[in-house]
Amino acid sequence: MANIIEMKNVCKSYGDTEVLHNIDFSVAEGEVVVIIGPSGSGKSTLIRCINCLEMISSGELIVDTIRIPAERKRVRQIRLEVGMVFQQFNLFPHMSALENVAFGPRKARSMKAGEAEDIAGELLAKVGLDEFKEKLPGELSGGQQQRVAIARALAVNPKVMLFDEPTSALDPEMIGEVLDVMKSIAKDSGMTMVVVTHEMGFASQVGDRLIFMDEGIIVEEGEPSIVMKNPKSERLKDFLGHVKHH
Amino acid sequence: MGFEFSVIFESLPPLLEGAKLTWIITLAGISGGMAIGILAGLGRIAGTAYLGDEPHGTSKQICFLTRYFSAGFVESIRGTPIIVQAMFLYFAFPMLIRSLPNVDQFRMEAMTAAVITIMVNAGAYIAEIVRGSVISVHKGLVEAGLSLGISRYQLIRYVIGPIALRRMIPPLGNQFIISLKDTSLFIVIGVGELTRQGQEIMASNFRALEIWLTVAIMYLIMTTVLATTLRHFERKMKIF
Repeated sequence: MANIIEMKNVCKSYGDTEVLHNIDFSVAEGEVVVIIGPSGSGKSTLIRCINCLEMISSGELIVDTIRIPAERKRVRQIRLEVGMVFQQFNLFPHMSALENVAFGPRKARSMKAGEAEDIAGELLAKVGLDEFKEKLPGELSGGQQQRVAIARALAVNPKVMLFDEPTSALDPEMIGEVLDVMKSIAKDSGMTMVVVTHEMGFASQVGDRLIFMDEGIIVEEGEPSIVMKNPKSERLKDFLGHVKHH
Repeated sequence: MGFEFSVIFESLPPLLEGAKLTWIITLAGISGGMAIGILAGLGRIAGTAYLGDEPHGTSKQICFLTRYFSAGFVESIRGTPIIVQAMFLYFAFPMLIRSLPNVDQFRMEAMTAAVITIMVNAGAYIAEIVRGSVISVHKGLVEAGLSLGISRYQLIRYVIGPIALRRMIPPLGNQFIISLKDTSLFIVIGVGELTRQGQEIMASNFRALEIWLTVAIMYLIMTTVLATTLRHFERKMKIF
């Protein structure tokens, strides 16, 4: 299948510190890619580069045929096609759950208020929050907030969803409800997903491909269960050892 | 010479005239000050990540200049006494204009000078209030807005603005009260505001106690009205 995301020889630096070194990376349409790695390995930076929250320093990024940096003016177009879910949820605190989800279709897709709210209502029902439409983010649990955030990202009708450690800020008993929603998105809608996570169960059940990053490079990649069972590098063996103990 | 209530009643009409001018200067001044403050406050952080994507190419240069111009404005107003600003605008600025070729008639009304002084002075301080509130908005919310594909205008209008506005209210209340009291300095350029009215009545009847007490109470009433109005807004808006 065609690649919807392609990174060619991408580097990213902050000042003199290079955090991504010559990354070649692609995601096919409909593929679920899971990225793991120790903190500071560049995995979050990598997915933040995909929707241009971080601008790549060199190399080329192609998302749905839009080329960066050549077509820098079309960054908004990329973001309409690529939804993102953050570790800290980042719901708009002054809007209700429904308003949060309707905001994207209403403003980014210029829909009528009624139409946007219909879409938002459907999505909230889909993530199991039908009864929480009028609640403010501050009145919801972490797991509920993250499910609203997923609905918000989906509401703009993206082709790709990025998840940046979506369960890392959650209490253990709430991780399951968020992972379940993510699984259903992958299975039911065939959504292209790039997921940074430490949830190895999710990686093996849902992931088509697992990528292990360390110190700004892709160290290993392949079919998740194979990569997890037979890590080639010492670094991945070491990392898996740490993850399994939790 | 005991305390005479009749003195207060006699002087009420001119004092109320003065209070009316004080009120007009204050309201016109802080309205203009808000406009200047929002522009200069956003100007000081133009092109930074606080307001969304960092620009590139020529807009990067424009943002750089905007930041320096705004910072220069804020620092020069904060760094000089308001009374000097008022005197400059009323006495020196017209001379400057008259010295231009082809201009021999130019006067500035004291009232105009007073309103402009408050606008500019409050504007500089409000700029800092605006900047402080905007940079306090969590970076993740800006990123969440951007990731939905909205424009910079929409980001500021619907995400950053409403959250920042709620945080601005307490310091704005402070500034509005300071601006109201600052109007008393316009006694030096002959505006018939409350303090000047008090001074003039006092000069004719020497009733310092009654007059200054009344003047003080009138200021207190006006600042209380301002503070109460703002507290009302603050209660209506939740702080996030």
